Amino acid sequence: MPLGAYIARRILWTVPLILGVMLVTFALMRGAGGDPFNPPEGFGGLPESEARKLRAHYHLSEPWLVEFAYWVENVFTFEFGPSLLVRDLDVADIVRNALPVTVTLVLLAAAWAVPAGVALGVWAASNRNRIQDLLATSLAAVLLVVPVFFVVFVLREYFVLEWRIVSDGWEKTSARVLPVLALGLAPAGYVARLVRTALVDALEEDYVRTARAKGLRRQRILWVHALRNALAPLLSAAIPMIALLITGAFFVEQAFRIPGISSFFVTAAQARDYPMVMNLTVALAVVVLVANLVADVLLALVDPRILERQRR
Amino acid sequence: MSWKTLLGGAAVLAVVAYAVIAPLVSPWDPNDVDFDLRSQLPSLTHPLGTDMFGRDLATRIAVGGRTTLLIAGSALGIILVVGFLWGTTAALAGRGVDSLMMRIVDGLLALPRLPIAIVVLVALRLSAATVWGIVLALSVAGWMLTARLVRGHVLALKSRDYVTAARAIGSSWPRITRRHILPNSTGILLVAVLLELPVVVLGEAFLSILGLGPPAPAATWGNIAYDGWSSFRVWEMLVATLAITVFAVSASLFADGLADVLDPRRRGRRA
Repeated sequence: MPLGAYIARRILWTVPLILGVMLVTFALMRGAGGDPFNPPEGFGGLPESEARKLRAHYHLSEPWLVEFAYWVENVFTFEFGPSLLVRDLDVADIVRNALPVTVTLVLLAAAWAVPAGVALGVWAASNRNRIQDLLATSLAAVLLVVPVFFVVFVLREYFVLEWRIVSDGWEKTSARVLPVLALGLAPAGYVARLVRTALVDALEEDYVRTARAKGLRRQRILWVHALRNALAPLLSAAIPMIALLITGAFFVEQAFRIPGISSFFVTAAQARDYPMVMNLTVALAVVVLVANLVADVLLALVDPRILERQRR
Repeated sequence: MSWKTLLGGAAVLAVVAYAVIAPLVSPWDPNDVDFDLRSQLPSLTHPLGTDMFGRDLATRIAVGGRTTLLIAGSALGIILVVGFLWGTTAALAGRGVDSLMMRIVDGLLALPRLPIAIVVLVALRLSAATVWGIVLALSVAGWMLTARLVRGHVLALKSRDYVTAARAIGSSWPRITRRHILPNSTGILLVAVLLELPVVVLGEAFLSILGLGPPAPAATWGNIAYDGWSSFRVWEMLVATLAITVFAVSASLFADGLADVLDPRRRGRRA
């Protein structure tokens, strides 16, 4: 199968997935029953006239299939509609403003975590079973094991509250350093571990022995010959990587008061703001699925055998 | 069994034992409020200090451990049942049913668990964010890996001679599942439980710290961390995080070692 066809097929497969996510979310919210206009205590309700307007907007009185169809139309035209609880707040605005923040945060974190993890993994593998290996693997394990909520809590407690070196939020460039750093720690450890394992295997291969016999430099064998073959396992681990980053983003945004998508998601969940939760779920799902798509395409570029296997 | 496996197993047992025994012998009630003793660091009377209401943290960690382990245990029970049924059905049905069921699993696996759990909690109308709401949320978010694991295992079992023999004498699939497949799947189910255990414990903490956990004064490890989080108390946060992390790490060490023991082909493969 040529690469173009593979990409087209992957994109086509993503569409039913998004629709599936939407249908399940919709069923869950609709199945929850009750009246979304009676929010839990501590969250203000709406006047009757407003409620009627919103009811009409979301077609809440129609049969479920009609309601769902309207919702799908709204999502695909980016007309998400107003929030149920906060007046004059349109979900489309939230998505437009918050999504880029979260995506930037995640991409910046990945941008430092992946190279750092690769470097650490290569260092460990090239010094296999020596003290450097032990140091690197221990560091990777610690990075992976310390929960992200503890890291962000401690960083904020000291750097923001105690010493006032940086501020909360996402406006200033200086404020972005800590969140990006904190979010990348666990993925860096994860990448380091993956790369080390893959490299240790690759360094045992015949082609590495051949390269060594030809008299190639050690560094060249390591970084060009062996690492290249360690890339496929790394890209195949895209799903857990993305999960680490997205889960981490929830706590990073919560701790540092970053107006990203997950902070709105959590607030909406607490307030039981159904359209907000539903639309933000879809937005998150799209981010995750597009990231998976990109990783799959990269994997096919790195390891063309995948295209061969697709023919079956 | 390697020393790591033994250490992990011993630590898991120790934490469970602490959660069970400590509240019985502790002189403090986990919910006793004493504002004179607010936010204390460790002392002889309060070995882990007190929280913002002057409650003894050592006791609360133990009681919280009970709740957290109850949540984890119940969620794991549901995950096992659903995962086993789903995986077995897919493997035995084969063809279109199998590929459809596994597509669903793959699709769900692509999404991170935390948002799934939150959506389930919201659907439960949140006022139901009790212990059982959390259990359900974590189960819905976490059954897929077990299903995939079981399916692979049952696919291999399906072609064994004793299954063919049972088919030949006219046993029905439900009977074969009960008599042959389930007993031969205990190993893989045990591995699944131990793999999921740390994830579920962390999941409870994640939900609680986002303010979606069981309401106060219920103590769970996640809830204690949430108290520390929202009142900016590093010590309390550290204690709760340690409880969660030590337990999660020991459980995965144990799971890893056990998987090697149960599957000799895995042994020594990883350097």
